[in-house]
Amino acid sequence: MARPLLEVTDLRKQYQARAGMLAALHGRTRSVPAVDGVSFGLSEHETLGLVGESGCGKTTIGRIVLGVTPASSGRVVFDGHEITALRPRALRPLRKQMQMIFQDLDAALNPRMRVRDILREAITLHHRLEQTEVARRTSELLDQVNLKSAKLASFPHELSGGEKRRVGIARVLAVGARFIVADEPTSALDVSIQAQIVNLLRDLQTRLGLSYLFISHDLEVVELVSHRVAVMYLGRIVEIGPAERVARASRHPYTSILWSSLVEKRSDEVARNGAAAWGVFDFERPGQGCRFAPRCPVYEAAGRPAICTDPTSEPTLRDVGDGQSVACHFPLAR
Amino acid sequence: MRRYRESTGEVAERSERSRWRAATLTDRAAIGYGLLVVGLVAVSYVLGAVGWLPDDPSRMDMARLNAPPGAGHLLGTDFLGRDILSRLIVGIQAYFLPGLLAVAISLALGITGAPAIASIIAGKIQFLRQKSFIEAAHVLGLPTRVIVAKHILWYNCAPLLIIQATLGMGEAILVETSLSYLGFGVQEPTASWGNMVQAGANYFFHGKFWPSTAPALAILGTILGFHLLGDGLNRLLEPKSAS
Amino acid sequence: MTRPPLLEIQDLRTYFYSRAKEAFIRSVDGVSLAIAPGETLGVVGESGSGKSVTALSILGLVGGNPGVITGAVHFAGGNGASGPRNLLADLERYVSLTKHDGRIVAVAKDEPGWRAHVERALARVRGKQIAMIFQNPKSSLNPFVTVGQQISEAVRLHTGVTHASEAKERALGWLERVRMDSPRLRFDQYPDGLSGGMCQRAMIAMALASEPSLLIADEPTTGLDATIQSRIVALLAELKSEFGVTTLLITHDIRVVSRLADTVAVMYGATVMEHGPARDVLAPGVEPKHPYTSALLASLPSTQTNGRRHAVDGRLPVIRGEVVDTMNVPRGCRFHARCDRITDAIRARCMGEEPALATVAAGHRMRCHLHPGEARGG
Repeated sequence: MARPLLEVTDLRKQYQARAGMLAALHGRTRSVPAVDGVSFGLSEHETLGLVGESGCGKTTIGRIVLGVTPASSGRVVFDGHEITALRPRALRPLRKQMQMIFQDLDAALNPRMRVRDILREAITLHHRLEQTEVARRTSELLDQVNLKSAKLASFPHELSGGEKRRVGIARVLAVGARFIVADEPTSALDVSIQAQIVNLLRDLQTRLGLSYLFISHDLEVVELVSHRVAVMYLGRIVEIGPAERVARASRHPYTSILWSSLVEKRSDEVARNGAAAWGVFDFERPGQGCRFAPRCPVYEAAGRPAICTDPTSEPTLRDVGDGQSVACHFPLAR
Repeated sequence: MRRYRESTGEVAERSERSRWRAATLTDRAAIGYGLLVVGLVAVSYVLGAVGWLPDDPSRMDMARLNAPPGAGHLLGTDFLGRDILSRLIVGIQAYFLPGLLAVAISLALGITGAPAIASIIAGKIQFLRQKSFIEAAHVLGLPTRVIVAKHILWYNCAPLLIIQATLGMGEAILVETSLSYLGFGVQEPTASWGNMVQAGANYFFHGKFWPSTAPALAILGTILGFHLLGDGLNRLLEPKSAS
Repeated sequence: MTRPPLLEIQDLRTYFYSRAKEAFIRSVDGVSLAIAPGETLGVVGESGSGKSVTALSILGLVGGNPGVITGAVHFAGGNGASGPRNLLADLERYVSLTKHDGRIVAVAKDEPGWRAHVERALARVRGKQIAMIFQNPKSSLNPFVTVGQQISEAVRLHTGVTHASEAKERALGWLERVRMDSPRLRFDQYPDGLSGGMCQRAMIAMALASEPSLLIADEPTTGLDATIQSRIVALLAELKSEFGVTTLLITHDIRVVSRLADTVAVMYGATVMEHGPARDVLAPGVEPKHPYTSALLASLPSTQTNGRRHAVDGRLPVIRGEVVDTMNVPRGCRFHARCDRITDAIRARCMGEEPALATVAAGHRMRCHLHPGEARGG
């Protein structure tokens, strides 16, 4: 792969949770770690898929990487610029290069603006252009996202879901972005439209050499579009590696459970599988070792080994070969 | 029984009906009446300014004090025999500058602190801030001042400001009238609707009701007009679906 | 099907009116479906296919302007052995239609009258004989009442149980039956304290607590995490084998339907395109198939035999174009503009004439000129 475009090192983000009234009187606030020591890299022309269940911190990472949400600690370096150290004003020139596709289809679209004006705004944002040049660029963008020019006069509420998504993508391309954080770009779309958008994103990557941080809970789509996949559980990456290996040869028990939940089973096998009580990791009791242990079938099967709940030995990512890394004391065999 | 009828022709090629056509009959009537009033007020203002009046508003006709409406004096005369219609038209002058000024000031203050409009705009901003398109505009790289001026104020609050201005105009007329009626506003012999009502009220119970009733009806009709216009525009420009 | 259906929907139409476009939004446009007792009917469709509005129409939960305008819903549930009754009886007294060229172009409806009528007719059916679970369990539960109280209330409202303590025991029983972990603890919790999956379990418990004849599950897994989704589907499968509740399952997720449904109805553009046994409709390689159904199955990433290879050097097969606009339903087959199986021989028919829902095999009906079958009688 080409040189690294994005490097994330030991990223952390704590949110101050709203505590009860009594705790507020005592002046105590709880802090809940949304992202808890995450490191990864992204090369040019690469897609890194970020998967995990809701609340695992994947969206927060996307927002920190773009400098929308400040990090509590850690470093994000994009193309030599340390995002985490820049003030919002200094970030603005970088917006030309890094952009976001929002889960919400309406995110990019001011309800009172026509598609033409939405695109014009993005085109002229970082470049002063002649009217004819703006028109040329507009039609080029429409072409790139397969949108009919008749839609230019439409207001957002007159567009279908797929069209809204295309306008959102065109808008991101309009500023000239080459790195795009795609936050659940297909989850709000119909099945038949999802495939169109997945293809579109892949085509654009080939044609324009884009890099994606592809955040999604849809494992199948992630597996399909990503070169590498990182699996998150409660704020940490538990496994990262080439998409095919993570999906088909998972080494972390959680990854394996995630992907096996896709396998179509008519029986109640799945229910029996996880009949072990699915406890919930408690952030307020620090240092319980591996945070997946309370839900982990391997932990149960191995007779609850002490190391898994040893507060001093929370597993960290280690290389298990073939570009795959896993944070587990007892990684699954191949 | 409520009837719903589909119009003919291809729906796809049919552009969305204008908001005016989609509005209900009551809204259309309200706006129509409001526009009529605004038009009348504007015409009267011009007529008053250039002095193109049925009669001289300050000429006293001692032979015809409190004369009833009729030929010569369309709305009759007041206690000094002055032509009421002419005085009504000239009276508009008293509103215009103070009225516009009040609206302009409240608009300017509205963004920083004056209670009514400010709280409406602030509410709208609060509402829009949760909308993701504002965040998306931020991520796109738009400076904050552009986001506030263009995306929030211009695109989403402009109708609100027009509506508020219209309602504010009605408000201003009411305030001026009250002041003049109490004797604090425009002073005799200069005509204003407020002091005309006040002066005419002295003769009301002597059977001479027109000197006060004519300006009172003018006030009622005008304020009603501005309010109906503001209200109608509110429903026309700020439909629930757009929020 | 030999057993008489528990629920039979015939030619249901639910329209809404857009003042701005002076046009009808044909949300449900001639839907006919049937569910046999004990069976799970999976209704799949994309947005705008009319699947949810169909369910809401059955329960009289759609608002006016103009709302339900034609159709019959024959329901044989409840304890009376009086045979099926039409939940939409006397609809025609409140509605008059004007047709032009085979299409409904004007509707007059006495909506207040119809509302009052439907409320009377459905008061004893809704929640008791037909229970419903919704997509967003958290917002469907009352946040100010404990989970246990809400289920007990359903027990007391819809079954003969009047004693508070007995209702509580029953409610606890239901929480156990939906595999809620530590049910006694959850009983006294407020919905806010429960995760999405637990809320959905509570909703299911509440729906089952009234011992309904028919359960309508509207997108029961949408919005839940993958592992939780899979658990909820497993739970629904267990409950199905345990209690044999007749279920109308509405979802956009073909995988959920394929795991739960005995019969499948594929909806597109406000009408039913294909309706038949799950093994015929959804199993790959089984013909005949409606072009829309097969295109839908093909565009799923999971059906790619080798997903990675497709991602690197190929593309996902797609259905071109956009989902049909129910305000502007095309003439002819609703799918013709997106269909890749149209041949020159039938093109004119596909574009000009809407195919009928015809029987192509036992219990298998299809709306496609390629599979004319034998026109369905009655």
